[in-house]
Amino acid sequence: MLFSSIPFLYCFFPIFFICYYLSPSFMKNGVIVLFSLVFYGWQEGRYVLLMVAVILLGYVYGVFLERVEKPKKKKMILIFAIISYLAILGYFKYTNFFMDNFSRLFSIKNPIGTILLPIGISFYIFQIMSYNIDVYRNTCKAQKNPLIVAAYISLFPQLIAGPIVRYKDIEEQLLQRSHSFLKTYEGMKKFFIGLGKKILLANQLGECCDIFRQRGEDSSLFFWLYAIAFLFHIYFDFSGYSDMAIGLAEMMGFRLMENFNYPYISRSITEFWRRWHISLGTWFRDYVYIPLGGNRVTFSRWLFNIGIVWFLTGFWHGASWNFILWGMYFALFLMIEKLGLKKYLEKNRFFSHCYVLFFVMVSFLIFDGLSLKEAGRNFLGLFGVGCETLVGAESIYYLKNFLIVILVSVVFATPIGKLIVKKLLQKVFGKRYFILAETAGMLLILLAATAYLVDGSFNPFLYFRF
Amino acid sequence: MEKNKEIIFSVFFIGAVIFSLSLFLCFAPKEEYSISERRKLKELPQFSSEGLKKGELGKELEEYTLDHFPFREEFRGLKNLVSQGIFRKLDQGGLYHREGYLVKMEYPLNGEMLEYGSEKLLGIYEKYLKDSGSRCYLSLIPDKNYFLGEKYGMLTIDYELMFRQFSERLPFAKYLDITGLLGIEDYYKTDTHWRQEQLLDVAKYLGKEMGAEVEAPYDKIKAEKPFAGVYAGQWSLPVEGEDLYYLTNGILDNCRVYSVGEKNNTAEGIYDRKKLEDKDPYEMFLSGNKAILVIENPAVREKKELLVFRDSFASSLVPLLVPGYSKITLVDIRYVQSNILDYYIDFSGQDVLFLYSSLILNQSRSFK
Repeated sequence: MLFSSIPFLYCFFPIFFICYYLSPSFMKNGVIVLFSLVFYGWQEGRYVLLMVAVILLGYVYGVFLERVEKPKKKKMILIFAIISYLAILGYFKYTNFFMDNFSRLFSIKNPIGTILLPIGISFYIFQIMSYNIDVYRNTCKAQKNPLIVAAYISLFPQLIAGPIVRYKDIEEQLLQRSHSFLKTYEGMKKFFIGLGKKILLANQLGECCDIFRQRGEDSSLFFWLYAIAFLFHIYFDFSGYSDMAIGLAEMMGFRLMENFNYPYISRSITEFWRRWHISLGTWFRDYVYIPLGGNRVTFSRWLFNIGIVWFLTGFWHGASWNFILWGMYFALFLMIEKLGLKKYLEKNRFFSHCYVLFFVMVSFLIFDGLSLKEAGRNFLGLFGVGCETLVGAESIYYLKNFLIVILVSVVFATPIGKLIVKKLLQKVFGKRYFILAETAGMLLILLAATAYLVDGSFNPFLYFRF
Repeated sequence: MEKNKEIIFSVFFIGAVIFSLSLFLCFAPKEEYSISERRKLKELPQFSSEGLKKGELGKELEEYTLDHFPFREEFRGLKNLVSQGIFRKLDQGGLYHREGYLVKMEYPLNGEMLEYGSEKLLGIYEKYLKDSGSRCYLSLIPDKNYFLGEKYGMLTIDYELMFRQFSERLPFAKYLDITGLLGIEDYYKTDTHWRQEQLLDVAKYLGKEMGAEVEAPYDKIKAEKPFAGVYAGQWSLPVEGEDLYYLTNGILDNCRVYSVGEKNNTAEGIYDRKKLEDKDPYEMFLSGNKAILVIENPAVREKKELLVFRDSFASSLVPLLVPGYSKITLVDIRYVQSNILDYYIDFSGQDVLFLYSSLILNQSRSFK
């Protein structure tokens, strides 16, 4: 079920929160698990049992990792746990990729057939892995109550598209958390901001990208329009979803980590990755990069470490060569920056912003391409290679049609957008009526988003395929 | 303290809005049909474990809730307002509103469809008309975007190219260019179609070119109810209804009209006035979509017949050609297989007019 869907907003959301708020404290985690299973089963009925199996596996491994005292045995259990998780992820997510390449390489028919990807598997597998690793490292205690582990993994706000929450970060909240009108209000605010980002901006930008894919005109302007629209589309789509997830969790008394922090204002790719999909970046840092030795190793080993981490980051995003190239593309920039470019970027503000935006935009052409060939075609199109014309009637029309959406997106991709809205509300309504003005804003977003949903069915979430 | 009260109020207020709409969604009576979209709305899906397993049940329930959401039309209107007012979008799902006219932006030119459509008509010629001694004519009707698109910077297909290419593919038919006789005022503001009362000069020109005397005096009758065409519903914001007129006289009143290939073989005369009360009043012209329709005119004694291959635009024009013919047969190959036409029609040297709108030609996959 999508957060930005009528069944969620007007069926699941009210029923869940009525049940949740009315249930006594000791039952709240049970309510979460029950509703999360419904939430997941709505979209992926056949894979509910898989998720339950992963939860049980994580619970059992956690208990064993704590009970066993001998370090060697403990390490063996952890290795076994990680292998079993990666086997599940590998089977469901990467079998198609390997079999396709294998059958292409040896010109034979794929003997297995297509395996459907369970929604959110990359997220919940990473979460359960982090839980077991943290128990192994003694940074958190193993949970004796399987219901708590189930609530942690299945917590529906973050179940299918993150942020990747670590058990140790919400351990206490899972056991005991407070609820207040202020938390609910703040959560609602965050949720509606995310809803607006997703439906009012991301979906419209996605429509622009779809129009480009069905274009009748190959003009350089059209390639630029698509590249810029996709740059903002993916940001508002994913950060909108994360905002909704964090907001919902806050309404339930949880405080989850922020997943995005205005990545497009970065002045280096290194900074960009500190602001983009923060929960994934920190996961790879803590569970792959640092265990490999981080930067406290020889120069060549350090380059190798970066290469491994970004290969895995790319491959995590999707089982295709595009994503691997995408990851390695960032590895290259991170290496170059660390070798000296970063110092130059720090001195030149304007250039550094242009540099980040351009190369991130290009990275998303690789990300969105159905094949490497298509990604290359879209990149070359920016420079007019293979284009019939630089500017055409169709591209001009769609530029005019989506210009305001893009401009609004540019403003709200920076802290300026939030500041403008805040100042505007304060100026019009004064500090005295600020909360009521915010409420009116939330209501307007809800109604406008509902109107867009009712009017059309264009509402796919990009990050579901991960 | 005051702030706390406001926060509590806000939480309850937003909650109440969501909860009220939820209650409406669950318990308000459900419509079966959407007039504005001309389609049946989704029914509540049946529960099945297979559907649940595959996630189809969730999808169907989502479609159901979208179709039956309370104040659906009002929400669609709100979307249109936000889209136009805030995001300054130039069109709404391809529809735009200029000079009081709702216009569909037909774009891009679909070469494959043109080829498909022309192949179908060529096939008809080869199979039935080539050796029948018929004189063939082709006339193509531009849609409203032809008149307003370029003026307002909307996307338009190259109509000249379209009409030229299509007519060149049908060299057996003499092309009768009516574009110069038409203007935007000849079309309904809220509908795809043209206005019958504005077509006398088009009918006169076609008649003259085909060698038939079609001119006759008419009474101009105004329909009682204002007409809201197919675009009015799609636009989702309130638009004024417009007057619908039809032209009639004694000749038309005395015609025998019947459909062929249907069980009852009936039609309600040239004008089916009951349709004026229905969801699509334009269907009052020749009873709307019919596969094969025959008009017999007893006022013309000598045998002079016309065969029209057509779409819905012909429904309002063909009555104006009736005074020049003893019999007119209208064929819509969207509703009848073109390879079995000789089962219903005797191809015996009639005049043949291929009359199609640009909208249909650009989407001619529906030709059978």
